[in-house]
Amino acid sequence: MRIAVLLKSVPDLIEDIPIDEESGEILYDEMSYIPSEWDDQALEEALLIKEESGAEVTAITVDTGESDTMLFTALAKGADHGVKLVGDFDPSLPNRQRAHIFSQYLGPQSFDLVLSGVQAIDDIDGQIPGLVAGILGWPHASVVTEVRAHDNRVIFRQEYAGGLVAEIKVSTPAVIGVQAARKPPRYASIAKVRQIAKSSQLEEVEMSIQEVPSLEILRFYKPIASGHAEMIDGDVDEAVDRIIEILQEHNLMRG
Amino acid sequence: MGLILVVMENGASGFTDASRELLGKARELTKHQDGQVMAVGFGPQSEKALRRLAVDRVICADSALLASYNPAAYEACLDQIIKANAPCITLIANTTLGIDLGAGVASRCNLPLIAYCTDLQINGNKITATSQIFAGKAVAEIRIPDSGAIVTVLPGVWNADTDVGDPDFETWPVDTPQMMEVLKVIEPETGDVDITKADILVSVGRGIESPENLPLAEDLATSMGGVVSCSRPVVDAGWLPKARQVGKSGQTVKPKLYLALGISGAPEHLQGMRDADLIIAVNTDENASIMDVAHYGTTVDMLELMPALAQRLRGE
Amino acid sequence: MTGQEGLAVFTILIFAGATAYFIARMLPILRVLRKARATDRLDNWPSRLGFMLGQVFGHKRLLQKRLSGILHFFIFSGFVILFIDIVASIGQVFVPGLKLDAALAFIVDLWVALVLVGIILAVYQRAIIRPERYHGSDEKDGYVILGMIGVIMVGIMLHESFYPFAAHYWYHLQVRLDPWEFLGYTLGHLWLQTGMASTPVIAEAGYITGYVLDIGMVFAFLAYLPTSKHLHIFLAVPSIFLHKTRPAGELVPPLTEDAGMAIRTFQDMNWKDVLDVFTCTECGRCQAVCPAHAAGQPLSPKMVILELRDALRQELAGAEPRALAGDVVSAEELWACTTCGACQEACPVFIEHVPKIAGLRAALLEDGEIDKNSQKVLVAWDRQGNSFGQPLRRRPNWTKGLDVAIKDARKEPVDWLWFVGDFASYDPRLQELSRLVARLLQRAGLDFGILYEGESNAGNEALRLGEYGLFESLAQKNLKWLNEAQYRQIFTTDPHSLNALRNEYRKLGFDKPVKHYTQVFVDLIDQGRLSPAPLGVRVTYHDPCYLGRWNRIFDAPRQLLEKMGVELVEMPRHGPNSFCCGAGGGRIWMEEDGIKERPADNRIKEAASLEDVGYFVVACPKDMSMFSAAVQSTGNDGRMKVVDVAELLAQAVGLTVPDAELAIK
Repeated sequence: MRIAVLLKSVPDLIEDIPIDEESGEILYDEMSYIPSEWDDQALEEALLIKEESGAEVTAITVDTGESDTMLFTALAKGADHGVKLVGDFDPSLPNRQRAHIFSQYLGPQSFDLVLSGVQAIDDIDGQIPGLVAGILGWPHASVVTEVRAHDNRVIFRQEYAGGLVAEIKVSTPAVIGVQAARKPPRYASIAKVRQIAKSSQLEEVEMSIQEVPSLEILRFYKPIASGHAEMIDGDVDEAVDRIIEILQEHNLMRG
Repeated sequence: MGLILVVMENGASGFTDASRELLGKARELTKHQDGQVMAVGFGPQSEKALRRLAVDRVICADSALLASYNPAAYEACLDQIIKANAPCITLIANTTLGIDLGAGVASRCNLPLIAYCTDLQINGNKITATSQIFAGKAVAEIRIPDSGAIVTVLPGVWNADTDVGDPDFETWPVDTPQMMEVLKVIEPETGDVDITKADILVSVGRGIESPENLPLAEDLATSMGGVVSCSRPVVDAGWLPKARQVGKSGQTVKPKLYLALGISGAPEHLQGMRDADLIIAVNTDENASIMDVAHYGTTVDMLELMPALAQRLRGE
Repeated sequence: MTGQEGLAVFTILIFAGATAYFIARMLPILRVLRKARATDRLDNWPSRLGFMLGQVFGHKRLLQKRLSGILHFFIFSGFVILFIDIVASIGQVFVPGLKLDAALAFIVDLWVALVLVGIILAVYQRAIIRPERYHGSDEKDGYVILGMIGVIMVGIMLHESFYPFAAHYWYHLQVRLDPWEFLGYTLGHLWLQTGMASTPVIAEAGYITGYVLDIGMVFAFLAYLPTSKHLHIFLAVPSIFLHKTRPAGELVPPLTEDAGMAIRTFQDMNWKDVLDVFTCTECGRCQAVCPAHAAGQPLSPKMVILELRDALRQELAGAEPRALAGDVVSAEELWACTTCGACQEACPVFIEHVPKIAGLRAALLEDGEIDKNSQKVLVAWDRQGNSFGQPLRRRPNWTKGLDVAIKDARKEPVDWLWFVGDFASYDPRLQELSRLVARLLQRAGLDFGILYEGESNAGNEALRLGEYGLFESLAQKNLKWLNEAQYRQIFTTDPHSLNALRNEYRKLGFDKPVKHYTQVFVDLIDQGRLSPAPLGVRVTYHDPCYLGRWNRIFDAPRQLLEKMGVELVEMPRHGPNSFCCGAGGGRIWMEEDGIKERPADNRIKEAASLEDVGYFVVACPKDMSMFSAAVQSTGNDGRMKVVDVAELLAQAVGLTVPDAELAIK
């Protein structure tokens, strides 16, 4: 079983999103980037499959800068190969473009299973797994919480509203958008990542920008909160007093 | 303006609210611009409901193969319907179905996709969409191209449409290779309590820090006459059963009081609780999204607040 | 063959046999030591020697537990003194008529008696008192050893008392019972009175039995040692001599390229670490002081050492090596450690538990096995440079409420650089305290600055979680400014930062003097720049582990309290024996699985038992949050208040303290 895990980095939301108010553009250069948390889940699920039933895991990213650490981290966690798709790309690269670049690479390769995060915080023009699957014409499912692969038989669990879960068998090759791995993603120690960075090599593949349907974004802006909670000031005791009052006002006190 | 296609999602009884919410908006957009609304339903069970929708046309992909949700079969079917009807906008709710079908169909049909849409508006002769990005910390205003687009819409932004009509009815033959097979459907463990029936929910998130602190929440819930629910991270950590989860992949709740403790308020969570009568949020970050939907908020330490409040409620 | 010849042959055979067996059992241990990593433990040997003599002959640490110390001293000195008996007894077999002079004979008998008293006390302690610290130790081994020593003592008395009669029959020598040899004298008279002395067979048999019991058991003991905790008879003295002389607070020595921090096999340990596991006497003093153990967690420092030792013995016996981290020593044990160092402080043979635990943690971490909350903190340190996961740019936000801005040490030279730390910068409850410290320093006219966004977490806890790489990258971030900024010396409010800057940054070439704010305040008062008025309150003071035990700063906080006219009532566990709040070594972020009593609760109860003490004084931001919570959870709010030493000082110099509750009536 050959598994590809598609990774991307996204802005760190700890920091404010810098938007140029005049032009309504996001200032991508002013943000710091971290691996997308759902991609971490996808990688973890791939590594669990590898540990459980044997698989060759390849971590792949489109290089929009700082992708080496992300790939070396994947290797440190247990991935077998790291592939960097390089070209004239920067962090503002739309997801649709990324999906085409991924697909272009994946097409001729013989992967059985492609995993990626179900979504990312910036995939306003579409989630990577669905886009890639559509481009390649492979079957696809998202919001998946468990993937098991034995002898090229892939069975996954998909979640629906209300906690309903379906167990589905899919033919390979298939693309799966992972919501959560069976276990929380493992940690890769910095020492190990450094050691891997010294001892292993990333595969670099040259890619080019493609003509794809794109969004005509008029502007970005920060949401004006429709309402904000009335804040209760003071320490714990004062908060308790106020909450009791509120409960009384709403007739929510027992007895 | 041409055709707006609305994808209807089968729920436990009839179409889901999330998909019904799309109908009213679709009608509103076409009303002044001489367009048509077409709804698509899947499986033979959808026929009856489709015939009563207040739209112009309905298509029923009535194959028994589509009776239960099958991502690959639905996607292939929808792909064909879109290609055959060339709608200017295809609306899908951003549920599991929407995330599955939206991106897949968009790339199959070579159409742009606008995800996490929160509104659609007519500006002159153009339609613009607003979309949430960066977990709701920013909004994008996007022009819908004339060539058409697929739009996945966050549930809960519009009202569910219950109007009754008499649309033109058409069936759609299904002719796709079966690439997926649904082996079984697992009902959620109902567990000890049904959080959708509770009047008071004491809901805990990441801020609970450790399962050791759960008894504090249980104790508070008992003293309030409510039950404990939670956000996704608490379930993922295995600290509470899935049946207690509020949000997109959990339960949608509408209690009289929703006490959110240490929940930052991811869009997926807000989706499941924003309609509660009274929301009180306890979170160390005053700017957390939960504060935008809460009526009252405090930044005190929830781990200190829980026992103190429980004590007062018990009259100690 | 005569009886004498028989004994000679017996002596030669058992000597040769036991010695050969002993060497054969010891060689594999030596081989492991040779395969282990290097560590320089032979530097500055005269001071090592002096230190060793004080510990060995002065029993400094052992006597901290009175009964154990005394009985051990009896038995230990017995081993030294009774060497005389061994020489004399064997000598008598080969040189008939050899006799100790009266004084030596008296000393031998006196110590036989003392050793017997020691054995009785030891049995009393083991069987009647049954201290918890023995739990998990090999109790059988303890009794076997005591039994063997007892048998040797009986043997000595027997052959000593029968010797005059046996010598008479064998060698026709007239040997008198000597009253100085009081045990032999008394027993000899008993044999005379009962007529046993006048029966040659009985007299000879008595002598032979005594000799065999004595010398035979001595060599049997030698053969038994390599598989017993009593190997410490040979290893304790070298272990004390080879004790760590680098700064106590330095967890990890400078690492080389190919030898990381992780301990996976015994080859990853240094040879002193390997020696430690064989030196352990299973006395359990470490277990008795361990806060994790007291909290009911699965950790005992003693068991960690014993588990390692047993695994190593099994390996030496040919078993397949097991993973040391996670298998031999469980992950739960390893993550329970607060790295407080109480175990090392208590260990009479100077075993270093904490570096081993940290090394084993590093191995777990490399395999991605870590508590999920701590994992989040590690990621936050890596990304934002603080454990709160808050943006770096908000680090100096706490300074905003100050009337006078604090100098930016990155932009202008200052005399003192204040390294603030994560908790004091980001924790809303502690920010007020940080401002108070700043106002005190401003009042004293101290020329100081901070690094603003140039400061990151110092990395002390990252290192103690086993994340050397993260420690290094945090240190590099700090060193960028620490090396560039102009200042004379550093002080910290946080003992954990102090420890890192003072002890761990040396290996990265940093050597500026690092002080604690209590030391700075003492100097400022001495210079007359702050004049506290007497507060007249009774307080107790908690020594933070990373200030006290690891950096030996015990006096400054106490002097400061004295200068404020505060009456200090010490808790039973204070100074080097202080009891950890439970937050160290990353524990503050971990889940409290299986904790029966939080260490902080335990500590507050200790303080609450003191009479009329209303204030629990701390000098560490982590302590502030740990103990404030503990005062509540133990129901002591209203009775006891946790205050930072700076809050008291602010009161004493008449600064308005923002939180009215702090006002001291």
